[in-house]
Amino acid sequence: MRTAAIIHQQICQLRWHLLACLGLIMLLPIEEAAVNMHAGAGFHSIGMAVAAIMFSPLLAGLIACANVQGDLSEKRYIFWRSKPASVKKLMALKFFVGLVLALAVTACPIVFAVVSSALCGKDLDDPPLKYYVPIPIIVAVMTYSLCFGCNVLVRNTARSWLIGMLLAGFVLVFPFMLPLGFKDIVSDVGLRAWGFYPATILVISVAAFVFALYAAQHDWHLKTNLRGLLWAGTGLVFLMLILFSSQVANIRVLDEKEVEIESGWRPFSLDKVEGKPIFQGRSYVNSNESNISLDRFIDKSHPGITRRLRRRTGNRYLRIYPEAGGLYKKAGDDLYVLIIHSYHRREKKNNIYEKLYLRNYKLTSGSWKQANELDLSDCLTGETNYLRVAMRLIDNTLVVCVKNSFVVVDVTDPAEPKQIDKKLDVLSGIKSLRYEDRQREFSIPLVPVEQISAEERIKLSIDLRYRFSYLDNDIYESSIVDVHDGKFAFFPVSEQDVARFDVLRWDEEKVYCRFASARPFTILEGMTGTSYSGYSTLVEDGRLYCHGSNTLLVFDVRSSSRIRKLGHFVRMDCHIDDMSILDDSNILLSARWTVSSKGGRSRERKKFVYLLKNPE
Amino acid sequence: MFRMLLWKEWQENRWKLLFCGVASVVFTVMLFRIRIVPDFSNCMLISLVQMFVVPVVYSLDIFSGEVSNRTIHLLFKIPAPRWMIFFSKYLVSALGMALIFVVTGVLMELLAHGRETRMLFLLKTNLLCGAAGLFLFTWFCVFGCQSRSEAGSLVAMFGVFIGWGIAFFWATVCEVTWATPFAPYSLTGLTESGPVVAIFLQSLVSVAVLAIACHRYVSIRRYL
Repeated sequence: MRTAAIIHQQICQLRWHLLACLGLIMLLPIEEAAVNMHAGAGFHSIGMAVAAIMFSPLLAGLIACANVQGDLSEKRYIFWRSKPASVKKLMALKFFVGLVLALAVTACPIVFAVVSSALCGKDLDDPPLKYYVPIPIIVAVMTYSLCFGCNVLVRNTARSWLIGMLLAGFVLVFPFMLPLGFKDIVSDVGLRAWGFYPATILVISVAAFVFALYAAQHDWHLKTNLRGLLWAGTGLVFLMLILFSSQVANIRVLDEKEVEIESGWRPFSLDKVEGKPIFQGRSYVNSNESNISLDRFIDKSHPGITRRLRRRTGNRYLRIYPEAGGLYKKAGDDLYVLIIHSYHRREKKNNIYEKLYLRNYKLTSGSWKQANELDLSDCLTGETNYLRVAMRLIDNTLVVCVKNSFVVVDVTDPAEPKQIDKKLDVLSGIKSLRYEDRQREFSIPLVPVEQISAEERIKLSIDLRYRFSYLDNDIYESSIVDVHDGKFAFFPVSEQDVARFDVLRWDEEKVYCRFASARPFTILEGMTGTSYSGYSTLVEDGRLYCHGSNTLLVFDVRSSSRIRKLGHFVRMDCHIDDMSILDDSNILLSARWTVSSKGGRSRERKKFVYLLKNPE
Repeated sequence: MFRMLLWKEWQENRWKLLFCGVASVVFTVMLFRIRIVPDFSNCMLISLVQMFVVPVVYSLDIFSGEVSNRTIHLLFKIPAPRWMIFFSKYLVSALGMALIFVVTGVLMELLAHGRETRMLFLLKTNLLCGAAGLFLFTWFCVFGCQSRSEAGSLVAMFGVFIGWGIAFFWATVCEVTWATPFAPYSLTGLTESGPVVAIFLQSLVSVAVLAIACHRYVSIRRYL
């Protein structure tokens, strides 16, 4: 058998299909490059190259069918079967020549993206290529093999392609139905996980190839109008469905409680005092394994701590930090809440901040009464037209950060808070993490608060650096830092991914960090808005919880090699206000539902508190 | 005569309805039960795959099948105008595609009822993808009505996908707002906002496109 001649014949036979596939797969990347060039960004393409690669499994199947059909059509088949050639060798040769050509077509957008980006000086390590390329290539190998096997059996291009694609789709979904603990498409399925899933795809590819050889050797030919195959396949699939499809990877709702609506708007906060959740500063939330109940401690005539304050006096305006909730502290049977109030006036559309107070309120016979206040106005240094405030309560020490200054307050007796330290303009500014930060070691200035432990200082430094955004004011009851076995790691969430940065070491002035890994959001998550969930994040017991407007995502972040999504909770029309992790690891969520009436004007609002099972 | 032609097309194409219908139902049930991604993501995934695959299945041999089976000579000798033959093929395909999307959309609604999305949201998303698939199929008719092989039809269909992909990408990236509603793909993102204008515009264009396709089909000469 003349191998070289057969390879040549195969290439000639497939040349038009290859050119057609090449044209189809390269059009979009070239268009993107042209658009980029027109915009002055150079002739390069990344996004559309990635999108084109997603289509490569479909085209690989097409090449496989064209490859087989060329020699299995009735007349040619009789011709080459009459020759003294080894059927297995010929089919194997056809298979591998076609596979190499299909992979070459698949590689074209990648090569184009890499070369054009390099020529234009763009970063070759841009995340999309790295994240999204490997799996479609492996799937393309599988679709090629399955379509090849189907075509040997069915000998009809279009129908073989369809059956091959259907089988490929089933192979891709089926492992999720088995009790293998697959929960995250990226971490459990992605190539870098190198686990069961990619192995399954490769095994199926090899099996399809072996089957094709065997079918060709024994001259199997399924003359079908698809009916028999359809019903047999359907029966099998439904049987498997009934047997296996019970795995549920979303977060289970244990209880859902509608809360009475009261006039006025404010975020529905969930705070904690000594492990017990407080809803909206009015009610304790009692929960067990399966239900929740609200135990109100504020009289109905007293709506709460923040709403009862007048927001405007003359031309001075009041702002409250936090907008929702507060920092709660118990002393004996007494309950106190610590809140910051700022006063500003408006001047040419700017807010000029003039006064700042730390105030504490005591719960007295069903209403909040002001107990004391500390004037922190001297922390308002520098530019007066913006204000950033953060607080963290660590045991009996309250750290209040105002712009670049901080105040340490002893709240052992919350009725009489005592200022024990104050340093002005010593905190470094905020910073956003850039892609370059993932390439090198970088440092974060350690906050010079000596009254708290090193662990808390590191956590506070990281939170202040990466959660203390420019105009956003936040109160840090929670942290994005995970501490486990003396090792620190933190997890910023962006629109592209959830990243893990490890703390390598620290000294008296700085904390040194390095990028460890990232879990990218998928294209589908980007399309459906699930990826924009970095609205509010916290890390607790090795889990990252982040919620956006209507989605809560939970990630397992303890492994140093990968971040794994464990579950999701989605409610459309819902606005998640706050979340809290209970001692029994269940999740408490407060949310608002806004429903438009028929006329589209009046809007009905409902408040809900959800008790969610923390995914395993 | 038109009813006879419809019956013939129904007989020839019902395997496509069964194939796509069963595959859609099976994958919908599987994905909505395992819930590895949120319901809306599942819906988008299934709808987008359907939007590409269902028109491909219907386009495979709707026109080229008559040539490859050498029945086109017989078909054109039936005492019925060719436009009627063309429209019987188009109508059966369009109704079959619509039925598949309606069944899948309703199934999604039933499986996800009271879970994550508001009522009828999934059905609406799925039907908009179905409408996009139908408009793509209509465009295929222009290029594929004279194709002689299934492979040729497949290439024509892929060409339509890519062609509109290019147009949609250009309209989106270059912010050519007037052009965006004309791209069938734009319907996939209009579940929240009103899709009425885009559907109306595309329907108008589709009528013109169908007229061209019909003209091309009527003027087939070389096979006879």
